[in-house]
Formats: sequence, C-alpha cells, structure tokens
Amino acid sequence: MAKKQIPLIDTDIHERVQYKDILEYLDEPFKHYMKNCHWIQEKHMPYTQPATAGVDRADAILPDGRPAGSDLAFMQEQLLDDVGHEFGILTGALDPSPSSMHGWYEMAAALATAYNDWQIEHWLEKDERLYGSVHIASQDRDEAVKEIERVGSHPKMVQILLPIDDIMWGDPYYHPIFEAAEKHDLMIGMHHNEPPVYYGKWPRYFIEWHTLIPTAHMKIIVNMIFNGVFDKFPKLGLMMIEGGFTHIPHLMWKMDQQFRDLRHEVPWLKRKPSEIMKEQVRITTQPAEELTKKEFMSLIDQMGTDEMLCFSTDYPHWDYDSPYRALPNMEPELKEKIFSENARAFYPKLPDKRED
Amino acid sequence: MKEQVVCKTSDLQPGEIRESFFGKQNIIICRTQNDNFYAFMNQCIHQGAPLGKSLLCGATTGESTPGDYHYCHKDEVIRCPWHGREFDMKNEGRMLANPDKKLVSFKVRIENEDVIVYK
Repeated sequence: MAKKQIPLIDTDIHERVQYKDILEYLDEPFKHYMKNCHWIQEKHMPYTQPATAGVDRADAILPDGRPAGSDLAFMQEQLLDDVGHEFGILTGALDPSPSSMHGWYEMAAALATAYNDWQIEHWLEKDERLYGSVHIASQDRDEAVKEIERVGSHPKMVQILLPIDDIMWGDPYYHPIFEAAEKHDLMIGMHHNEPPVYYGKWPRYFIEWHTLIPTAHMKIIVNMIFNGVFDKFPKLGLMMIEGGFTHIPHLMWKMDQQFRDLRHEVPWLKRKPSEIMKEQVRITTQPAEELTKKEFMSLIDQMGTDEMLCFSTDYPHWDYDSPYRALPNMEPELKEKIFSENARAFYPKLPDKRED
Repeated sequence: MKEQVVCKTSDLQPGEIRESFFGKQNIIICRTQNDNFYAFMNQCIHQGAPLGKSLLCGATTGESTPGDYHYCHKDEVIRCPWHGREFDMKNEGRMLANPDKKLVSFKVRIENEDVIVYK
C-alpha cells in the first residue's frame, strides 16, 4: 500500500557539495589553493562518528559511493517525491562550508560566492520545490553584505545562513547584515556548527555536545533580542534550525521575568521578549524530543502559540526526523501549521499555497 | 503464512544482512560470525528506517565503567542506519539502551541449506 503523501515545507535539507564540483565556480587564486595546494576545511571533532555512516543516513549514500545529499535525482526519489514535499529549504553542506569558516576570511568569502552560484545552478534552478540559503563569510561583514547584494534578490533565495558558533550576532557590528536581509525580504536562518559550543571547548563526549546544542541556540536568541535586533529590524525573522524545541517555553518565561526586573538596562525593547519570539522567531522541530501527544500539546500550550514550530527533516543526516513518525499525532489544523503553514507565513519569498 | 524458505545459507556471508519477504512482510535475515541466523521486520521500531541498511557489529556493554570501555557482542548487534540505535539479536532484538523495546522478530531454523522463517 502506498503511503500517504505529506505536502511538507521542510525547513532543513542539507545538499552537499564536493570540492571537485565547486572548483569551477571559484575565482583565482582560491581555485589554485584548492586544486593545486589541496586546501580542505579542517574540522577537528574528537569523537567517533555518531552513526554507522558518519553523520549521514546509511541509506542516503549514493549507490555509486558519492556522499549523501550530493545528487538531486537521488534526493528527489528518496525524500521529495517519497514524502510529497511542497517545498524544501536548503541549508547547506558540511565542508567546505563557507558560513562556518574560521580564519582566512578571503577564502571564506570566495567560497561563499562559489557555493551560492553552485547552489543556484545545480539545485534551485533544477527543482521548483527547492529554495535556498545565502551563504556568506560573515566574519567579514562588508564582504558579506556585498554577497547578499549580489545573490539576495534571486527569487529562490529565502534566507541568509549564519552559524551558531562563537559569534554573538546581535552585536551592532553585524546589523548591516540584517539591514541587507530586510532589503531583500530574506530571513536569517541559524544552524549550529561543528566547533565547540561548550565553554569554547569540546566536552568529553559527543553525547554531551549534542545534548547541549539547544543551549547554543538559546544564547543566540537571548543575545539578538536584548541587543534590540528585532525592534530595529521589524521585518526580520529568525529561524533557529536543528536545536529541537522543548527549551522554548523555558526561554520565553525566563526572558520575560528577567525583563520585568532588568528592563532599565535594555530600554530599547518595545515588547516583551516572549512577544518578540512569537512574532519574529521560529523554531524547526528536528531533532524532535520524543514526546507523547499529551506532552507535545502541553508544550504548545506553554509556548502560548502554535505558530512557532516548523517541521524539518534534516535529510540526509543520521538524526533525520521522519515526517511520518517524529511527532505525535495531532489535529489536522495543527499539523497543517507545523508541517507547512508556519514556514510559509515566515518566509516572504515562499509562494502561496498551490491550487492544484 | 506458517513458514517459508527465504534464502539459502550461502546467500549471505557471516556478518551480513539480507532483505527478503516472509509472505507480504519485508524482513531482514542476519547471519552472525558464529553462523547463527536471525530474522526481523525490515523496519526500525523508532522511526521506520530500513534495517536492511543496518550494520551488524559489536557494542560496548554495561560492564563498562567511566573511562574503561568493555566491548563484545561481535557482529551480534544490529545498528540502525539512521539514528544508530542498537538492537541485540541474541536477546530477542531488544534495544541496548531500552530493553523494554524490541524489534519485531521471527523464528528461524536451518534445514539442509535452506533458511526457513516461521512464527
């Protein structure tokens, strides 16, 4: 029996570039560094890989051995056609990952440009369901703004991707990035990054790091809200990707309570932090903590709105969430919001619902 | 469907998994290094991943203490191809981290070279 299709707007899909594929999009001398000097982006996660195929689903590796997420046709068959996606938001690769480069800003900027061009040509213009993220070398703010100006008006670019790492993005130094985002109707998507989120170091075990990823998300939300980003840029939205969602009620309660005591320090806030979150911050669901229906509905109640959560699969990574199994059963109206309408309402550049 | 020959013993090597059907049910047959055969439904009980893409491997055990790993069950553990959850074939397919949960299993016997699955 064929399974029921879900017209999903998937807010976290990882397409994957290979070094050899991005070469033709790189300017010199950066092409030279990659081709002749064999540059690769060094990563130093000191753990065993989490699952049987590295950080990928074992069944997402291509039959010819190419990495998971590197082939559109395979992704279409295994994910988009199989589930019935209406739209998917691409959130990028592991490495080379221009958004998460440390150091060597010139290479990072060149890589971001090359990556965006590759993404547009090979994904966004090849499947009408796929929408993209603008990658920027955001440590170099001015170069980042130039890149947003260059590709941000592409009709299928819906957000700017920033890493959750060791930069606190609410700092006014980065506000020109948000200004450029607003100008092009782009949202900000933030995804955690491989380097440490644990007092600047890796914890002893992967399971500690992976458990604590939501704390890195919380730091960013708190930082951006209290630095006044959302009041200064009222059209801006923030999608927090891949941190789970059960920390959200705690964060809203905590910030509101702190604000009642300490408002004098951040007088530029015009709204309660929880109101800012409800209006301008959205949360992807994966990796979904395994809640019962009662627990899940209680959590939605605690958030005070059912319009913040947006379903995400994280395909093709090992901790993929199945649209069929990751969340408890829920009423059709709520399911429609979480699986598509909340994301559609969030991203200004996503089309209205198709009338088939 | 009471019983069915699903493959020959030579169809899979020690340490390998093979997908097959028991009636209409998609199953996996697993062969350990000791030539024991096991059969389970080809679907993880967590989120439905295809277990035919699993890894048969060993596992660190509960005898481990902080800083001191104890490893055994050589090729007797099914590790899910998505989230890596571990299921002990020799213990009814029970999940190592939560033994109250187990894979849907089938009985297996070998006659001559035939691998026979039954309920």
